[in-house]
Amino acid sequence: MTWWRIPALIIALLACAATGNGYLVSLLVVIGLQALPAIGLALIAGFTGQISLGHAAFYGLGAYGAALIGKWLGIPAWLDILLSTAVVALLAWAIGWLVFRLKGHYLAMATLAFGIIVQICFVEMHGVTGGPDGLTGIPPLRLFGFTLGNDFAMLPVVWLATIAAILGAQNLVASPTGLAMRAISENEATARSLGNDVQSTKRLIMMVSGLFCALGGGLYAHYIGYLSPGPFDVGFSIKLLLMVAIGGFADVWGVLIGVIFITLIGELLKPLGAYDIVAYGALLVVSVIYCPDGLPRGIATLASRARRTGAAGSMR
Amino acid sequence: MSGPLLSIQAASVQFGAFRALTDVSFDVGAGELVALIGPNGAGKTTLLNVLSGEIIPQTGSVRFDGETITGEAPHDIVARGLARTFQAAEPFQRLSVRENVMVGGVPRHRLGLLPSMIGRGAELLSHGKLRREADAHLAAVGLYELADQSASILTAGQRRLLGIARVLASGARMLVLDEPGAGLNDLEKRALGDIILSLSRAGKTILFIDHDMPLVSRLARRILVLDQGRIIADGEPAAVRRNPQVLEAYLGRRDTAPEAPKVIRAVAPPLLEIGSLDVNYGGLRALDRVSLGVGRGEIVALVGANGAGKSSLLRAVAGVEPCTADRMTFDQVDLRGVAADRRVAGGINLVPEGRALFGSLTVLQNLAAGRYALRRTRGFHHVIWRSAAERHGFEQRLETVYQLFPVLKERADQLAGTLSGGQQQMVAIGRALMGEPKLLMLDEPSLGLAPQVLTEILRCVERLRNQGLTILLVEQNVTAALSIADRGYVLANGRVVAEGPGRTLLQDHHLSEAYLGSSEVEPDGAHAGRNAVAINGG
Repeated sequence: MTWWRIPALIIALLACAATGNGYLVSLLVVIGLQALPAIGLALIAGFTGQISLGHAAFYGLGAYGAALIGKWLGIPAWLDILLSTAVVALLAWAIGWLVFRLKGHYLAMATLAFGIIVQICFVEMHGVTGGPDGLTGIPPLRLFGFTLGNDFAMLPVVWLATIAAILGAQNLVASPTGLAMRAISENEATARSLGNDVQSTKRLIMMVSGLFCALGGGLYAHYIGYLSPGPFDVGFSIKLLLMVAIGGFADVWGVLIGVIFITLIGELLKPLGAYDIVAYGALLVVSVIYCPDGLPRGIATLASRARRTGAAGSMR
Repeated sequence: MSGPLLSIQAASVQFGAFRALTDVSFDVGAGELVALIGPNGAGKTTLLNVLSGEIIPQTGSVRFDGETITGEAPHDIVARGLARTFQAAEPFQRLSVRENVMVGGVPRHRLGLLPSMIGRGAELLSHGKLRREADAHLAAVGLYELADQSASILTAGQRRLLGIARVLASGARMLVLDEPGAGLNDLEKRALGDIILSLSRAGKTILFIDHDMPLVSRLARRILVLDQGRIIADGEPAAVRRNPQVLEAYLGRRDTAPEAPKVIRAVAPPLLEIGSLDVNYGGLRALDRVSLGVGRGEIVALVGANGAGKSSLLRAVAGVEPCTADRMTFDQVDLRGVAADRRVAGGINLVPEGRALFGSLTVLQNLAAGRYALRRTRGFHHVIWRSAAERHGFEQRLETVYQLFPVLKERADQLAGTLSGGQQQMVAIGRALMGEPKLLMLDEPSLGLAPQVLTEILRCVERLRNQGLTILLVEQNVTAALSIADRGYVLANGRVVAEGPGRTLLQDHHLSEAYLGSSEVEPDGAHAGRNAVAINGG
């Protein structure tokens, strides 16, 4: 029933690339890079019901990790992305082991604290991360002898990873484990009483979630070529949560729409400068109150109501 | 295989100073169908939590199928074949009925992360083993037709059945059901009973808690009775029902010499009048056309088994439970549509079950909180500023409360959460008295308290009545409650089944039936007439 979505997505991407518009393509790359952590967050916060306010940290660790591993070991970019992703996924599992003793507000606070700790480490560990000045000179990705130095070359690589993540997330959600995730998000005690190991499921999903984030971060590092702590602060965690909320939390494709929506809004909000976070906060509140099932489904409900009113009106 | 399937040895559980379970030991053989009954707060749910691994007993052990399972994680115990349902077994509302059942099968058909992510898992759910098993379990409980519906549309009875199908899906050999019949109507209970019996015939070992004695007697060949954390009886239903210890546990000690019924005071227009009150929780009918009257200066006791609707009635009168009624007047004023805080200010004060104190406030602050609604209705400025009249009124009420409960004066600056249970109950009653009530409603004041404390509290209640206060009392110690009450109402399944002077009701057969079920099978129609002692309330 939804098989057409992937081909449609690829066609849309090809069509955009065919326009040759550099701005449009760079936007698409950014959307793909942010879709990875957003889908990761949707798995743990949307489908499993475990809030996280620190997902920017996994994205940042993936980015810094890839850059630093590449620098220290002198290995090719694709390998350092994979290594960094693996390390961050393990770290996410361990963080899950630590924080999933907590629930609700306390879980939110613990993940928020994790996000802040990582961000402070990026700023203060001058010797490793370059501190506020950041890391420069990260080489672009090279695959099969081609240097992917521009947006047009990055587009297929980034979206290949994103589509793989979408498929992986979709399959995971449709599997028995996905059923357990949805049960846990509704009622942990009942899920446990039916023999599900709730904690181990949560840790596993946290690991997958961290993996998606770190993959996005690693690609981002080699795409942008320069890392500073700024983009990985709590503001980005909130932005990710906003994307997931707009998408309807437990909806992989909805989250993709959320990412597109927020990225485009972000372009519009550029004139606001640092105040854009205020607009994001307001948007988060509005969307959670008025579209608790996300923007796509909210619009669908509105449309069907309008159609019914229209039909009722024409009958009279 | 020899030996019992489940064996619990000398298990004790203590919460702080409170002993929830004391040296509980019993065996359940394979294939048995056993009921566990006991009054409120007896420790039944704690015992279930011990079996399912949610609580680890301080001493004693649980053995299942010959192996010790004490200290194992709940999901490991389920994997061994011992699974339970919860009292409020809510379905997963966002899943379909079939998906609800499949959740129970997931642990046995778990798929690795990688196969799941490359799409090997969807098949298992859409037409694999997991789905076939779920359908079989749904058919066993008669919900197969609803498999594709959202679980949120199920009625209360169907939800219980879904709960049972869910534990079946976990592959359990032994099912532990926590109040499967609570809140169901007679028809639903009969269907539930049929299914439990058929599961038992199919070889499942079943232990269930229930308060509905007709249902328990129909299903169980053996009944365990738990009271104050101890097993006080274990045997056949008929023997258990005759057991004097069991009667005492449910109805209180009956050694007080029966005095002549108290003279009912001449009650001019009743203070509280209720006609045809209905309370619904979702699809569940808690109160069904209940009518009653409470006269000025009376103590009226509401008695009945767990889940009969006593607390719902008090909460409906207090305005904290949505309800519909043909008539609901207090002091000749229509109560319908009046918000809860206005009712408190108007003189209806509820002392809720479990006391609901502000644990981190002092005793004095808790008492002061009881005047908030009164001050608020006089205008907002009275909340931020205490006028001289209010200060005077406050001191006066405080003095009355301290006279009633001198210990509270000593403990005025102590945090309410650190008091003993009996003292907390005094604070709760005192807090309600601070609001200058005309009608004081007490919900289970003796819950979790020692018998001596109950006597003390009931003596205070009598003294309050003698000072002219009207009291509506819900109390699980029926004998104690009815012996001080002017009149009483017996509730069963949300309906009033008998009413009359307190001491007369004590002798009434409806009373023990409401708790322990009918001891002889009566021909239909025997209940058609209203009880002989029924009087026109008010």
